[in-house]
Amino acid sequence: MNELEHTSYEQAEGESRPISNARLAVLVLLGAEIMFFAGLIGTFLVFRLGSVTWPPPSQADVRLPIGVTGLNTIVLLLSGYTMFQGLRAIRQGRQKELRNWLFATGLLGITFLVVQGSEWIRLVHHGFTLSSGVYGSVFYVLIGCHALHVLVAVLWLLVVFAGAIAGRFSMNRYVSVEVCAIYWAFVVVLWPLLYILVYLI
Amino acid sequence: MIRRYFSLLVGILALALLIPTVVEACPSCKTIDDPIVQGFKWSILFLMAMPYIVSGLIGGSVFYVYYCTHRAGNRKPPSNVKGV
Repeated sequence: MNELEHTSYEQAEGESRPISNARLAVLVLLGAEIMFFAGLIGTFLVFRLGSVTWPPPSQADVRLPIGVTGLNTIVLLLSGYTMFQGLRAIRQGRQKELRNWLFATGLLGITFLVVQGSEWIRLVHHGFTLSSGVYGSVFYVLIGCHALHVLVAVLWLLVVFAGAIAGRFSMNRYVSVEVCAIYWAFVVVLWPLLYILVYLI
Repeated sequence: MIRRYFSLLVGILALALLIPTVVEACPSCKTIDDPIVQGFKWSILFLMAMPYIVSGLIGGSVFYVYYCTHRAGNRKPPSNVKGV
């Protein structure tokens, strides 16, 4: 099936639908992801609001890297901007710009993961681990799950980037880029909320 | 018939709102001043609100795309039906 036939088929199928299957699927996936993180945040709220002092007295000497993670937050927010610019570029048919923006997004995402990982190693060396009471459990599970999602988003982005290099996208064919951008936006938007909850409050 | 049931439902809800009763989000929590009770209360309220927020976001997104597609008219096919 060539591109013209493919597009005509999808066009005929899609005109009766308010939204494409791919978009709807990623929205439902994000709905499940939001509920997953809501459960974790709910657990955090129980422990956080249920404690008179936070961190708990047994972990009072633990100092989370607020400054470095704050800068890392800016890195992740920047990656959201570059992803948006990439999507805008392919909507206007600028394939080379899409590749550049996707490359920048991937680089920023990997930077975020590397900084997070190095900070975790530092905390573990200081004796703050997953088994360090409620504080350690809540911190590593909540932040770790987000880091895992960023890792998945980076892998997804690499697949899309490979497609962009192969020239598979055009101003009429970019749904793969769009659904990846939606997922990326999710991990970017979620992070400041987690940062405020876990690091600042 | 539907209108009658709807009126009945609204009436029951209005009646329930008129009855002043102290309720707790956590039914097994007895002492209000305990911090852990506050933790459970806010956690339950947060989790209770999330399905509505998620449904609203998904529904709102679908409606937004549908609205944008129809606002553009039928001059060009919707962008969401093209792609790989």
